[in-house]
Amino acid sequence: MMSFTRKRTIQTACLFLVTLSVPLCQSASFAATKSADQTDKRQRVDAVTMAEKIDQLLEAELKKANITPAPLANDEDFLRRITFDLAGRKPSTSEVILFGLDGSPGKRRAVIDDLLKSDEYGVNWARYWRDVIYLRATDARSRINQNEFEEWMTTQLNQNKSWDQITTDLLTATGDVRENGNTALIFAHQGDPAELAAETSRIFLGIQIQCANCHDHPTDKWKRNSFHELAAFFPRVRVRPVRDATPRTFEVVSMDRGTDGNQYAQRMKMLQDPSMLFRLYDKNRDGKLTEQEVQRTRMARGFEQMVARGDKDGDKALTAEEIKGIPAPENMQRFMTEYHMPDLNDPTSMGKVVQPVLFVGTKAPEGLDDIERRETLSKFLTTPSNVWFSRAIVNRLWAEMLGEGFYTPIDDIGPERSAVYPEVLNTLSEGFTASGYDLKWLCKTITNTRAYQREMQKKTEQQHTPFAAQSPTRLRGDQIFTAITQVFGVDELQTNRNIGNRRYQASRSARGQFSSLFTYDPSTSQDEITGDVPQALFMMNSKTLNEMLGTDRNTKLAQIARDFKDDNDAIQELYLLTLSRVPGKAELEICQNYIQEAGNRNDALEDLMWSLLNSSEFITKR
Amino acid sequence: MSLYHHQQVQAVRGGFSRRSFLRNVSMGALAAGTLSFHDLMSVSAEELRKQGRAMILLWMSGGPSQFETFDPKPNTSSAGDKQAIKTAVSGIEIAEDWINTAKVMQDIALIRSMTNKEGNHQRATYQMHTGYAPSGSVKHPSLGSNITREIGDRELDIPSIVSVGATEGAGFLGVDYEPFNINNPGNIPDNVAATVTDKRYQKRLGLLGRLDTEFASRGGEVVVKNHKKIYDKAASLVMSPQTKVFDLSEESAELRRAYGENNFGKGCLLARRLVEAGSTFIEVRSNGWDNHADISETLSPRAREVDTGMAALISDLKQRGMLDKTLVVWMGEFGRTPKINARAGRDHYPRVFSAALAGGGVKGGQVIGSSTKDGSAVQDRPVEVTDLFCSICQSLQVEPRKENMSPLGRPMKIVDGGKVVSELFS
Repeated sequence: MMSFTRKRTIQTACLFLVTLSVPLCQSASFAATKSADQTDKRQRVDAVTMAEKIDQLLEAELKKANITPAPLANDEDFLRRITFDLAGRKPSTSEVILFGLDGSPGKRRAVIDDLLKSDEYGVNWARYWRDVIYLRATDARSRINQNEFEEWMTTQLNQNKSWDQITTDLLTATGDVRENGNTALIFAHQGDPAELAAETSRIFLGIQIQCANCHDHPTDKWKRNSFHELAAFFPRVRVRPVRDATPRTFEVVSMDRGTDGNQYAQRMKMLQDPSMLFRLYDKNRDGKLTEQEVQRTRMARGFEQMVARGDKDGDKALTAEEIKGIPAPENMQRFMTEYHMPDLNDPTSMGKVVQPVLFVGTKAPEGLDDIERRETLSKFLTTPSNVWFSRAIVNRLWAEMLGEGFYTPIDDIGPERSAVYPEVLNTLSEGFTASGYDLKWLCKTITNTRAYQREMQKKTEQQHTPFAAQSPTRLRGDQIFTAITQVFGVDELQTNRNIGNRRYQASRSARGQFSSLFTYDPSTSQDEITGDVPQALFMMNSKTLNEMLGTDRNTKLAQIARDFKDDNDAIQELYLLTLSRVPGKAELEICQNYIQEAGNRNDALEDLMWSLLNSSEFITKR
Repeated sequence: MSLYHHQQVQAVRGGFSRRSFLRNVSMGALAAGTLSFHDLMSVSAEELRKQGRAMILLWMSGGPSQFETFDPKPNTSSAGDKQAIKTAVSGIEIAEDWINTAKVMQDIALIRSMTNKEGNHQRATYQMHTGYAPSGSVKHPSLGSNITREIGDRELDIPSIVSVGATEGAGFLGVDYEPFNINNPGNIPDNVAATVTDKRYQKRLGLLGRLDTEFASRGGEVVVKNHKKIYDKAASLVMSPQTKVFDLSEESAELRRAYGENNFGKGCLLARRLVEAGSTFIEVRSNGWDNHADISETLSPRAREVDTGMAALISDLKQRGMLDKTLVVWMGEFGRTPKINARAGRDHYPRVFSAALAGGGVKGGQVIGSSTKDGSAVQDRPVEVTDLFCSICQSLQVEPRKENMSPLGRPMKIVDGGKVVSELFS
């Protein structure tokens, strides 16, 4: 039946075409190219091919502006950069040497592929996402499932789950937070609809809709409604403690029934106009309700509380005026299954019910339960026609790896923001969408570009041009921690038992402590990240690091001092160990002189290693 | 974590930063519209820095019960096990554990009608430190960070804002106003003392500087410049003779005993020394006020520690003539329920709780506001968090409506709403 119809259509179409005049044929062929172009956009393009396309677009732009981009970085710089970006660590001395010796032309592409295959890839980026989510948590208790989130996210990334799938899993999560790492985002905000709306929009769309919480957005086109309609996807999410659980834990659940929102609204209405209550229960008609009168009625249960809150004259009875005066409970939203948009003119009122709508998408059908709402939102967000979903993540990862994004700050993009080289971002975003939101594809594409692989350039007076040279960027706390353990050849650092909270395991581990000192919100622009004094004090004076610097003990440095009798060799070895490169001529000279003047070679090597660990370069991706 | 003051360490790598653009625009607008006001403000701000006003916050983490501290309700259903005792001010009675505080009541104003809505520890702690409810999109600065930014001494080697124990941070005001954290009061803080001799430490810094110059010449100059600023600041703290402020052994054994030889007492003594040395805001935290069970037994040891430390601090400040310019505030995140629960404890209760203030121009020996007879609600003169914050600003001569620009370009007042509790200063 089907094929018959199809055949018929084709026949008809052919017949039609044959009889057509020339102008229509032209327009038909125009339509054909257009649709071919559209299929092009949906076609997955190989990452290396896309990288070349991105470079051509960027270089054409730079040429227009009469700017010559910096040459490609040398092998040492490239290897250190790519290893930090994809695996969250520095390359080892032997990796640096072997990579330098490798003469094959495709070696950069090959190392990118290898690093993307390593498990370190998932670990590194899971830590990145942990900071994105938890550093904005409005409930500090959420730290209890940080480890579970990290594990879950590591698995997703290493299995290369697509970004739309990860997004959906984060938004539709339910269950015990200690067993379900994907509850991270919801748990971080106690399931609060307004916070979830703000963070969902910020993280997945790069749009700061929360300004529209109280007023129309001052600089964007979003209206106040848009924010609350987004919040309306979440009113049935609840986070509650799991009873009698040790260790203490919480669960994310759906509240689709229970105290019905309408029932609640009815009760509220009754309190605002209590005449009906008096008709029913005020048996002696004295205008007062007493405990005795409401006994065994539906008012009995809450009556004591009502008296406590409303009884003004202390006679343990309530008049109509006293009942009207009872303030609406603060946590009203907890009992409602629909989202109420607050009325700014009457903040104590219930506000009006709004239906879920995604402001860059469409309206959800009515009557959805909790999971359906959250699934619908995920579908709206991740649909290919929503360009902001892919632009946000492409801009974010590009900025993380190149040190600056097309939009700055990276989580404030949107139709009224201006991007640098918007067509480059759009091309890459369309490619990412066509790849099926493949995160490894995206990492591979970005790191294969020449834009990513350029060397740093000395700043000239001329205006800064994005992506014409490598911007030195601050390594994240976890990356620095890993690098330190690599330098000293240890698995862990010593913990400070004086700090940390016994409830949160992460704060008791050396990595957790280091991280709380060195971590910054990964959504911050690089030009706002400067480090601080306690970090400097830790690097300079902490017992943890200084104990591993001694040459009088069995340390990595003692070994180098012993194994490399020649000063030049020792200096070279230290540079490779800490900065993953050999020293330049001037550096070699500075270090040689220092050792000679010091008199005591071991002390001088300690000082040198101290200086390298405390250098700007050690904590910077160059 | 740390403070480091007013020096704006901003790496602007050139190009266009929208955030700093917004900041500049707002400054420009201010200057254009009200130039004289702006001039006036900067002049008086400099004067204020010289006046040496300071605040010490005694933070009772967990939510201290008002009934077992400053609002006892003897002979009512809410009384609990504790008796009320008389104080140096006739007519004011407090709970029995607070014998030393009772003796300095003439310097203390009690507010018994604090009221709030937040009953979750973290959220309430955030609100009682910043004046704002927590929000995912903006990290509000704590009041201490705001105060330090407004009136802190910019030339100080030691931190202007210090916290003995964990606290809330500087939020969007940034690293310059982060509290410097101290875990073991009495000793030089972690990592402040160099591990090698001063001479060798200087040599190391010299070598570091030379190597960094090489990195700068390869294109890292902005990074190196920022790094150097931070390291200079850190090194000046390490080398500063002022770090002896952290060493309490300089104080007489008698005075140390008076403060109490425990972390809270030491923290209070350190706070006084820091204020003397020029710091602006010090928080001293006492843990263990979340008495859900056996409140009678669990609360007393804490109360006695805090009683000793707080009373010694107030007397010591007074004796040294520092109390007029140093505001001491005692509070926690909320109060506790009138009802004793089945586990002989009390649960969270933000609807009514107490706070205590001394010094900084506050008129002592008075009680402001009251709770109902059973302590379940505010009877008279409710004081909200923002009212308290406005009053603290008044004491420190900080303008509560001063706006700072949040990262998304939204101006935020130091305190949004609220009114000064004028009785405090009359």
